Amino acid sequence: MDRRTVLKGLAGAGSLALTGISAPAIAQGASARTLRFVPQANLANFDPIWGTQYVVRNAAALVWDTLYGIDSSLQPQRQMVESEQVSDDGTIWTFKLRPGLKFHDGEPVLSKDVVASLARWAVRDPMGLMITALQQELTAVDDRTFKWVLKQPFPKMLYALGKNNSPCAFIMPERIAQTDPFKQIGDYVGSGPMKFAKAEWVPGAKAVFEKFADYAPRQEKSSWLAGGKQMLVDRIEWIVMPDAATAAAALQNGEIDWWENPIADLVPVLKKNKNISVDIGDPLGNIGSFRMNFLYPPFNDVRARRAVLMAMSQEDYMRAIVGDDNSLWKPLPGFFTPDTPLYSEAGGEILKGKRDLDAAKKLLAESGYSGQPVTCLVAQDQPITKAMGDVTADLLKKLGMNVDFVATDWGTVGSRRALKTPPGQGGWNMFHTWHAGADCTNPAPYTAIRANGDKAWFGWPTSPATEKEVTSWFEAKSLDEEKAAIGRLNKAAMDDVVYAPTGFFLSYTAWRKNVSGIAKGPLPFFWGVSKSA
Amino acid sequence: MLSYILRRIVATLPVMAIVALFVFSLLYIAPGDPAVVIAGDQASPEDVERIRQSLGLDRPFLIQFGSWVWRILHGDLGTSIFTNLPVSTMIGQRLGPTLSLMVVTLLLTIVIAVPLGVLAAWKAGSLIDRVIMGFAVFGFSLPVFVVGYMLAYVFALQLEWLPVQGYTPLAAGFWPWLENLILPAVALGCVYIALIARITRATMLEVLQQDYIRTARAKGLGQGGILFIHALKNAAVPIVTVIGIGIALLIGGAVVTESVFAIPGLGRLTIDAILRRDYPVIQGIVLLFSFVYVLVNLMIDVTYTIVDPRIRY
Repeated sequence: MDRRTVLKGLAGAGSLALTGISAPAIAQGASARTLRFVPQANLANFDPIWGTQYVVRNAAALVWDTLYGIDSSLQPQRQMVESEQVSDDGTIWTFKLRPGLKFHDGEPVLSKDVVASLARWAVRDPMGLMITALQQELTAVDDRTFKWVLKQPFPKMLYALGKNNSPCAFIMPERIAQTDPFKQIGDYVGSGPMKFAKAEWVPGAKAVFEKFADYAPRQEKSSWLAGGKQMLVDRIEWIVMPDAATAAAALQNGEIDWWENPIADLVPVLKKNKNISVDIGDPLGNIGSFRMNFLYPPFNDVRARRAVLMAMSQEDYMRAIVGDDNSLWKPLPGFFTPDTPLYSEAGGEILKGKRDLDAAKKLLAESGYSGQPVTCLVAQDQPITKAMGDVTADLLKKLGMNVDFVATDWGTVGSRRALKTPPGQGGWNMFHTWHAGADCTNPAPYTAIRANGDKAWFGWPTSPATEKEVTSWFEAKSLDEEKAAIGRLNKAAMDDVVYAPTGFFLSYTAWRKNVSGIAKGPLPFFWGVSKSA
Repeated sequence: MLSYILRRIVATLPVMAIVALFVFSLLYIAPGDPAVVIAGDQASPEDVERIRQSLGLDRPFLIQFGSWVWRILHGDLGTSIFTNLPVSTMIGQRLGPTLSLMVVTLLLTIVIAVPLGVLAAWKAGSLIDRVIMGFAVFGFSLPVFVVGYMLAYVFALQLEWLPVQGYTPLAAGFWPWLENLILPAVALGCVYIALIARITRATMLEVLQQDYIRTARAKGLGQGGILFIHALKNAAVPIVTVIGIGIALLIGGAVVTESVFAIPGLGRLTIDAILRRDYPVIQGIVLLFSFVYVLVNLMIDVTYTIVDPRIRY
């Protein structure tokens, strides 16, 4: 009997009997104006610039609005902005705010608030830093107009201001936005459709959001972070549930309305319950990965990295993560999110077809590998990294490598992966992680694809060809130019093995059938969601 | 007695100081860095360093420890690195659920376990004894989370009598408060019911062999009087000891129970703080727990003198 069987047995057996049984009194008595939601993780802090975890971003999207919002076609659309103008040479951006925008304390949203918010955001965001490097001045022209003057054009300006990757450019009151970006805010007056009920916040257990009556939504239909953010419930309660089986039982019992990310093991149980809907939550999914340390043998030699790619089976990784549900994964012979405009498989042949272990062993021997330990960090408290780590350990052993399997927790991996010391002195050779597909649709938010050595993400890959194409993409002026740059980038990154993609996987979201209006997207969008009694 | 209690309270201070030093040192040398967690995946090493500086984590060990002790002496447990809330506020938010869970569990345990143990001893060797001890072995062997899932399946999902998860404060009403605690208290209490029932049986068996019990029987005293007035009172010291130890152990059990039943108590706060390396919160909780342990031991010692007047300090 394995873990999946036990989980299904414990949490699932009840649902068989429950099928067809109406919700108990506890659910029927609950107000239809309150939506009870189980988020992916604990809301441990509530400063979306200081802390960049996805769960903080998701909550912040309720409380703070943005100037632009990315829609479901990945295009930035106006949100708080009424209009914008860009000079012919592309260096002067002038923006005008919509009239009637208010903060939760009743004060109007003014240009000075926007300027302060953008200044704080730009210190912590990779795209913000790029704009800052080009910045001549960022000033408020009048109460509703502000101007960003650059030394050089930055064609991706609107995308930067509307992107959904953390940190988003949320607009806060000037007095709050003036907080040091490396210090946490304590005042949560927002500009979005919901107010944060600070007094009811119990970190690790509960967060409450209440409808902001004076919010002025756009008239367009909502689409992800863009369009009219019409709130159809008065109150949203985020209830943190660390135990998946408990969340499944609570959803079946009508004690919660929406569970953001049920684990794959429990989905069959939920699907059998006629009171529950289950569907893919985020069509952009996730990309599994492990990174090899370019600084030390054996992975400082591209042949060793390529040997691992030649031998690895993405199917093994994906099945370890999502189980037997084939609709939840697909192979990924590339680095960009499948089914998005810039997806490319250029250079991905090494990950396709039958795995050639003998050829991989030969290539590994050519790299000079002589049996030294390969320190492989695997966080055991994250099901995804644990599953991938087990597969990798098996893979490396099949390749004849001497695996030093470090089973630890995510917190330790987080700090140890930053160490550049040799693997035997606290450093590492390999660690596992995954990237939200929304962060891998283009190179702007995609830190993991960068290969600029010391400045690159952990593993510190060096690949001048990859970096050259990142620049090409930023300078591209049309989608065709962008696609061409990404094709070359994908091939270069694959040739140099910037990191090893283990596949593309999706996850479900589940809600009770008296809830409607849930949209698929990279974060839970609460506007347009309603609940009947 | 009063001077003894005062002496014991004073004696807790060095214990607490040693615990404080130990915990602080352990966290200092433990791997992991809250600045890394806060900064997120996109952060540069420079960003992480700036966050570390802003949190004061770059200062030497002795300075960090000194400033922490100084704050403690002024009644300030510090501020959570992650939530920016005072640690005392966070503990205060979580104290009610954990205390409620422990109180209900303890009452349930005593009410069930002691009579069962007495009954088993009285009927030693009989079918009743075997059934009770069989239950005790069963209760002792099952992990809390398994019992929890089973109870939730039967009483919440199948019978729909009780909620699966959550906590309602007592201020919202007695029944709403209690209905959220019944399943977790039973799940958590199983192992302690088993433990205390076994101890009660063993000590009662020993006491029931004593001459004064035979004398009581010879005098024609009823079985209830013999068991609960004469025997149980004399068997009470080891039972009280185990109940006391049980209280301390409940704190550990609460961690799992609170996760299974999504109760926002101190156990979950501890786990969350450890996983995120929220040092001030971990330190505050450990100090609180160590104080509770010391206090429970003191209460046990005092209780000895009540149940057995021969004991004097």
